[in-house]
Amino acid sequence: MRLLPKRATFLRPLQAVAFLLGLWWLTAVLVPSWPSPWRVAAILGGSLSDPAFQTALAGSARRMVIGYALVMVVGIGFGLLIGRIPLVDQVLGSFAVAVHAIPGAAWVPLAILWFGMTERAVVFTILLGAAGIVMVETDAGIREVPPLIRRAAQTLGARGVRYFWFVVVPAATPKVVNGLRLAWAFGWRALMAGELLTSVSGLGQRLNAVAKTGALDQLLAFMLLIALIGVAVDGLIFKRLEHAVRVRWGLA
Amino acid sequence: MQVELRHVFKSFPHNGHVVDVLHDVSLTVAAGEFVCLVGPTGCGKSTVIHLMAGLERPDRGQVLVDGTPVTGPDPSRCVVFQDAALFPWLTVLGNVEFGLRMAGLERAKRRERALEYLRLVHLSRFTRAYPHQLSGGMRQRVAIARALALQPAVLLMDEPFAALDAQTRAVLQNELLEIWELARPTIFFVTHNVREATGLADRVYVASSRPSQLRDVERISLPRPRHAEDPVLLAHQHRILGFLGEEIEKVLREELGETVHFPEAQHETPPERSPGMHI
Ligand SMILES: Nc1ncnc2c1ncn2[C@@H]1O[C@H](COP(=O)(O)OP(=O)(O)OP(=O)(O)O)[C@@H](O)[C@H]1O
Ligand SMILES: [Mg+2]
Repeated sequence: MRLLPKRATFLRPLQAVAFLLGLWWLTAVLVPSWPSPWRVAAILGGSLSDPAFQTALAGSARRMVIGYALVMVVGIGFGLLIGRIPLVDQVLGSFAVAVHAIPGAAWVPLAILWFGMTERAVVFTILLGAAGIVMVETDAGIREVPPLIRRAAQTLGARGVRYFWFVVVPAATPKVVNGLRLAWAFGWRALMAGELLTSVSGLGQRLNAVAKTGALDQLLAFMLLIALIGVAVDGLIFKRLEHAVRVRWGLA
Repeated sequence: MQVELRHVFKSFPHNGHVVDVLHDVSLTVAAGEFVCLVGPTGCGKSTVIHLMAGLERPDRGQVLVDGTPVTGPDPSRCVVFQDAALFPWLTVLGNVEFGLRMAGLERAKRRERALEYLRLVHLSRFTRAYPHQLSGGMRQRVAIARALALQPAVLLMDEPFAALDAQTRAVLQNELLEIWELARPTIFFVTHNVREATGLADRVYVASSRPSQLRDVERISLPRPRHAEDPVLLAHQHRILGFLGEEIEKVLREELGETVHFPEAQHETPPERSPGMHI
């Protein structure tokens, strides 16, 4: 139970941000080579209003959307098959876990070998970097229909395809949504790694380019942007979605 | 439909050893009959319901419906579970419609039927709510409506009114009796409340503590609605409570150990065990 007033819960993230900014600013004062927050913010603003940079960002966004759509289809699809059909489980079950164990960046060399330094290679990296967790969570979700729910459904006449569609799928939804949220984080990292190494025009490739010039303030500005997008999409979409599902399912 | 347990034995594995729950239990619920089962906690009443529903198999013996062995669950034998067991992702209305949907009833018809039974359990104002927004008693009423809406030939009810206040319980008891008198389903009803059992049933089975055997059957031929003060009813209640008193002490001894001492059992009219008391 929360004993602090509501205002405090609203202020807490702001306080944390203010604290970090203060620390950063202090470091910049003490260490002359370290850029101040204002300088990094100004550079970020400049980049964001540069049309070439906007094009690069749009490219990243497009790859992420395509990659994530594939992750959803492949992850949920195979997760359902693995959880439902024992033969598929035997063949692909441990494969899914193995895929999930490989970090997204580790797929890039194979992606380049197969697809060259292309956008396809980046999308492939996102797919392999993030589909594993969706498969694993979907599989777990459809295996773990609570016994009480299963029994109630059976006595109400649910069986076969209808049982699967009206009971197993909704019962698995919280786990699947959790998998999708994690997949966003994994996919976003895989996108950056893919762009960094393939030099396909995008945010990751920009990061690589400024690193080579040695411009620390630019580098910090891009890293900040990567973090901000990652956190913002998670907070605005996935965290909310997950919370809504957990509340509805009586889990929160 | 007639439901019958014939020399049923049932045990469950528990921490490496086996717990005998039912020991040679035979009971019959005739077609259209209203039968109650009372017994001490943990004696296997829910297990009997699950066996009848086809959710569990007996170790030995037979579970028969109209003479045919039960092989699995079927919507003709509907269960109101001890914990409401609602689908959390469906609204109240969605839950009540669920069985009708599985039966392939068309949308308008099943909505109409679901609303009818939600009215019956006084939840018309909560059709759009989700289970997590309801109280325990409201959830239980949704579960009752969900089972009744299927208009099953056999209703298996596991302490359906235990979570309700006395007022609501009385109203729902009357409505259940009305439905039973109209449609004549076979009803097997588990309860802790002896007054409830004698008020509703044609016959009341009394189970012993684990491993459970049936100790007594009371046939109550009084017409309904029955009067709480009817001396014949009270006599039935006192007999049942007498049997139960012995069994409950056995259960408590087992669970609390020999450190607890009980006063001499009084099986005539134990003052602290008034008929309405929950055991
Ligand atoms: N699936 C199971 N696995 C293991 N043990 C079980 C299982 N189901 C029931 N039991 C055991 O069987 C015994 C009887 O359980 P049951 O739920 O039928 O009792 P009950 O008479 O309904 O009790 P209550 O009045 O408290 O609801 C208990 O000791 C319980 O631990
Ligand atoms: Mg029980």
